[in-house]
Amino acid sequence: MIHATFHHGTNRINSFQITGHADSGEYGQDIVCAAVSVLAISTVNGLQRIAQIPVEVENRDQAGGFLEVRLPPELGATAELKGQTLLQSFEDGLRDVATNYADFVKFVEVKD
Amino acid sequence: MLMNMNLQFFSHHKGGGSTANGRDSAGRRLGTKAADGSTVTGGSILYRQRGTHIYPGLNVGRGGDDTLFAKVAGVVKFERLGRDKRQVSVYPVAEEAAK
Repeated sequence: MIHATFHHGTNRINSFQITGHADSGEYGQDIVCAAVSVLAISTVNGLQRIAQIPVEVENRDQAGGFLEVRLPPELGATAELKGQTLLQSFEDGLRDVATNYADFVKFVEVKD
Repeated sequence: MLMNMNLQFFSHHKGGGSTANGRDSAGRRLGTKAADGSTVTGGSILYRQRGTHIYPGLNVGRGGDDTLFAKVAGVVKFERLGRDKRQVSVYPVAEEAAK
């Protein structure tokens, strides 16, 4: 089961954490894992390449199954707008995945 | 820190999870080595055990690993010891005949 937690500040997503394994199929055929992975990784890379935000990324790449991303508290207006847009799109997509594959993904929002 | 687009990032290791189990020691072949009523020579091992599952009775000694052995030649007898315990004794053949 994948656990996705989004930490919300005032009108802002401050960080997110995703842990666990989907276990919806064998390695290489786990479609739920693939969906969560592509959403998460493209968001992490988008925050850095598109929004130019120096995010703090902690991930256990070898074992997989753990990813935490934190935004700096203060950002320029443009970076903030782009960053939040990417994060809200990611959150929205992950919420949908969790809704349709509730056996494999648990979605939680937390107020910081 | 950019991430590599690994679509199985949130999947178990390649080929399924590994396990840290899968080891076991060889069986210790414990238990009875001389049947009740059988004739044994002195020094014969009667019962292998861990702890005193069975207690030493007449003419029976207990080794360092709780193994029970005959002190004299004779006939093996597994008996009750009190309410809920058991013991093993060896009765020398002459004494056995007199019993």
